[in-house]
Amino acid sequence: MPQSEEKAKRARVLGVIASALVLFVLVPGVIALGVAVWDNRKYFLISILILILSMLPFFLSFERRKPSVRELVTLAAMIAIGVAGRAAFYMVPQFKPSAAITIITGAAFGAGPGFVAGAMIAFVSNFIFGQGPWTPWQMEAMGVMGFLAGLLFYRRDGRLPKLVPLVIYGAAAAFLVYGIIADTSTIFTANSQVSWQTLLAAYSSGIVFNLIHAAATAIFLLILARPLLKKLNRIRVKYGILEA
Amino acid sequence: MRRDAFNFVHPAVSMLFFLFVTLITAFVLHPVITGISLAAACVYYIMIKGKKGVLFCLSFALPVMLLVAVINPLFNHAGTRILFYLWNGNAVTLEAVLYGVNSACMFAALIIWCACLTSVMSADKYVCLFGGLIPTLSLLFSMVLRFVPRLLSRIRRVSAAQLGVAPPIGKSPVKGVKHGLSVVSVTVSWALESAVNMSDSMKSRGYGLKGRTSYSLFRFDGRDLVLTAVLVVSFAASCAACALKAVWFRYYPSIKFTPPGFFPIAGCAAFALLCFVPVLLNVKEDITWRILRSRI
Repeated sequence: MPQSEEKAKRARVLGVIASALVLFVLVPGVIALGVAVWDNRKYFLISILILILSMLPFFLSFERRKPSVRELVTLAAMIAIGVAGRAAFYMVPQFKPSAAITIITGAAFGAGPGFVAGAMIAFVSNFIFGQGPWTPWQMEAMGVMGFLAGLLFYRRDGRLPKLVPLVIYGAAAAFLVYGIIADTSTIFTANSQVSWQTLLAAYSSGIVFNLIHAAATAIFLLILARPLLKKLNRIRVKYGILEA
Repeated sequence: MRRDAFNFVHPAVSMLFFLFVTLITAFVLHPVITGISLAAACVYYIMIKGKKGVLFCLSFALPVMLLVAVINPLFNHAGTRILFYLWNGNAVTLEAVLYGVNSACMFAALIIWCACLTSVMSADKYVCLFGGLIPTLSLLFSMVLRFVPRLLSRIRRVSAAQLGVAPPIGKSPVKGVKHGLSVVSVTVSWALESAVNMSDSMKSRGYGLKGRTSYSLFRFDGRDLVLTAVLVVSFAASCAACALKAVWFRYYPSIKFTPPGFFPIAGCAAFALLCFVPVLLNVKEDITWRILRSRI
């Protein structure tokens, strides 16, 4: 259908423009405002503002693309699996399958839906675990993991991604992307002086948790990635969902 | 537990309240402002959660507060009044300690406000607020909320069925894991398959057609209008007081603040009014209830 393709293209262009606007105008604007007006001390508020701004383009482009009903409901099912998974393993700190589910969703649906799925898993599971200043950080971290997974592993022709790179990516993303974003959040929420020393202290104190998280993500990907991607692929072939 | 009056105002008013309060709390690092905010958050949380609320405040907020209060003086050596020197020769200053304490209280206030937010802003209120603005994401959100409990109940059903069909004999952990995996596999297939069914059903009922609205239980009435006016005026007054440095507190390099007077007190009072809106609303309901009952 050429008309819908044109629409999708226009939505993509608008998305790029919106992200560029946010990245190059709004975010530096907020930082400049923070330095000039607020004496560069309001780390906490400025960091949250920037986080929310940086999430906007992803959400808006998802909204504008108007995904089909089938894609939407399947995505909701995947997000629910991620949330339920986090709830099921709540007693073990950082040992949770939600990052693995996010990565699988990104690999199966693409980068944009991957971001939305990750952010949504973090947001909804915090209705169970409690919302707080950490919610936007977790949303951003999970969203970026899903987004990168989509960029790296999503195939339009529907071929399954190789398992080993997926597992390696999962462990690396959980350790680096999620770990760094989550540990940075502790500094900003503590409203303390931001320096290399405090950063180093926060990162080194988070290492154990991040290692557990990375191992958990790798294990869950090893177990879940193949069967889940196969099931999604089967649905895709059977009902033709994901081919827009 | 009580019937929280603030829970029944329009979601837009609740959202506005939490936005205003958390903005000022996070933004103005002033001991009085932080104190007011922390006190109001605690009172309101205890009001809606009872004794459990007190325990929550103590068990959760205190360790975090301690951590935040200790981190700052250890890493921040600005300030003029030196208390003592650390093992590595860095100074711990009075200013940094007080700054850390204030930050800790601010953080605790924010956490308790967020706990109040979680209790007041239920998921249907988010859908009511954002359903018109971002319909696709709101729909996704509300579907996820429905799917999670359904998934959990399906896991129980599948598990029971699997135990009947192929019970794991013996207590070997490998068999337990195998059983768990097959339950997960069946449940996921079921969830995905029924998702497609559901989307077909939605489509045949007219999802995505023009002019369809989302269901909402809330009505913006006169009380909501009055509350909005109170919120906006008190927020504007507090902002003005902070911007004009009537309410102003500096930690570094040395502690300095605006001495109390008419305007500083008025600014803090405006912020106190803002913070205590839910508490006042509940008190007002209680008084009305007492009067009504005494008339019987």
